[in-house]
Amino acid sequence: MTPAIEAQGVGKRYGSLVALADFTIAVQAGEIVGVLGPNGAGKTTAIRVLTTILAPSHGSFEVAGVSHTRPAEIRRRIGVLPESAGYPERQTGEEYLRFHARLFGESARSARAITRSLLEEMGLADRGRSLIASYSRGMRQRLGIARALVNAPDVVFLDEPTLGLDPAGQRQVLGNVRRIAHERGATVVLSTHLLAEVEENCSRVLILNRGRVVTEGTVSEVASRAAAPRTARLRVAPRYAEQATRALVAAPGVEKVDRHDNQPGFFTIAFSSPGEGPSRASSNDAVRSLTDAGVTIESFELEGARLSDAFLAITEAA
Amino acid sequence: MGSVEHTGPRRRRVRWTVVLEQELRDLWIGGRGLLLTFLFSVLIGVIAYIASTNKTLNFLEQRESVNLTLQVVITVGGLLTLLVAADTISGERERDTLETLLLTPISRRDIAVAKFVAALSLWLVAFVVAVPYIWFLGRGVGIVGDALVTGFVVGTFLSVFLAALGVIVSLFAASNRVSLSLSLFGLLALFAPTQLPSGAQRGWAGDLFLRVNPITAGSHYVGKIVVDGFAWTQDVLWLASPVMGAVVLAAAVPVLGARFMRLRGGVSE
Repeated sequence: MTPAIEAQGVGKRYGSLVALADFTIAVQAGEIVGVLGPNGAGKTTAIRVLTTILAPSHGSFEVAGVSHTRPAEIRRRIGVLPESAGYPERQTGEEYLRFHARLFGESARSARAITRSLLEEMGLADRGRSLIASYSRGMRQRLGIARALVNAPDVVFLDEPTLGLDPAGQRQVLGNVRRIAHERGATVVLSTHLLAEVEENCSRVLILNRGRVVTEGTVSEVASRAAAPRTARLRVAPRYAEQATRALVAAPGVEKVDRHDNQPGFFTIAFSSPGEGPSRASSNDAVRSLTDAGVTIESFELEGARLSDAFLAITEAA
Repeated sequence: MGSVEHTGPRRRRVRWTVVLEQELRDLWIGGRGLLLTFLFSVLIGVIAYIASTNKTLNFLEQRESVNLTLQVVITVGGLLTLLVAADTISGERERDTLETLLLTPISRRDIAVAKFVAALSLWLVAFVVAVPYIWFLGRGVGIVGDALVTGFVVGTFLSVFLAALGVIVSLFAASNRVSLSLSLFGLLALFAPTQLPSGAQRGWAGDLFLRVNPITAGSHYVGKIVVDGFAWTQDVLWLASPVMGAVVLAAAVPVLGARFMRLRGGVSE
């Protein structure tokens, strides 16, 4: 099966400044891929290169099975919501979508039908004839997503689609993102600063830093690879507190045991070997020691295994 | 979702006229073109009124009144065309709407051509607005037809030249303000020779200077036809620079548009 996006060693330089270096990915059709990275990491450059707005300085890529040497053909097969998309204030939402549908070769009649359908789909049907100047930020983003779908794209690129939206607006936009992937079957590349967005919506994640891909994989793979748990919080029945303390102190891989003075039965334990495998083993050993000692565990929560921890660990280390 | 039938957009070539249609809509229905035309018509109306009614100040002969008004029509019509053209690419860039346009399959060359042609529409409308004034000022001395034809031909060449200049500046300008300033500066530089003392316009150097500048050459040619009653073919070489300027810059628009229409201004990406 041909990947929806396949990039090999793609780079973009501005003089001596390397905006993107050796960008290599393969994204399968129907996936939602989150692209994460701090400001200036190269997320927008990567999207602009893949969407043919910028020519790569080196490397090659294919989008929707079309080589980067045929940019107009790629543009026919993709939909893009740019990071700083502007909108013609004096056009109505309907006019805007109709114009863009016609730019993709639709007939006037077909463009009208597509416009109606997309406005309905994005919850803008009742505002289609209003000037875009009167739209809220959330409505503009939804209009921008509708515009990205006028050509029924195989791959959709969304660059910071929830930027500046309130929680309700964010939820609405992310709901649309999921629908694009699940109901349209399109591949979605979602660039964002919001880690929770990626955790909730993406099947895969790619972290960029200083123009380079520093890690990629499923959300849980990236989280555990980069930020394996170093501490855990656990709770046992207060009557087992002494037994639990002895068992934990004796457990291999447990470096430190803290009892919460004002909360009997609550502990924070630190593992001695941070990194990929050992901490997992240490947490298993800690649990085993407690059960072997006959202690009933009421709760056990590993800390430091979220995508946010991974993101910080990776980008700060680089 | 996605139940609407798409009519084979992946095969069909997108025509530049789609962009032209939208540009004309934005310019005329959006109101900017109408406002500029209204201001233009007020200016021409005032000039025509003064030229035809103020007996104390009116020391011009009827032919000279027609020539003066026609020169203003060509100059201001060209200026308006230049202003609209100078806003085309840099304006899209500044309003952050250029990227979405570049993300469509239509070529950058076609976008540049469509915007160039749309800007020219302002000249055509300005000329139509001026027709009654020229007719009114020139009636009775048999120069209305010649004045209108000459004004339209020369004005069209100069407007093509100025519209192309505006689009080209707009392609490279980092901001809309820079684009408008550079375009206006260019226009003023082209008009400057018309304000030189007549002594500076004599001799082979002065003559050459006037002939190579499309604005001064066009203005001279119109004056010869309307005021001096020259035939079309007399002094036709004065049309060389307006024609050359229009052809060269108009041909440069698609070439440079394809090469340099980018998200940021300048010559390097």
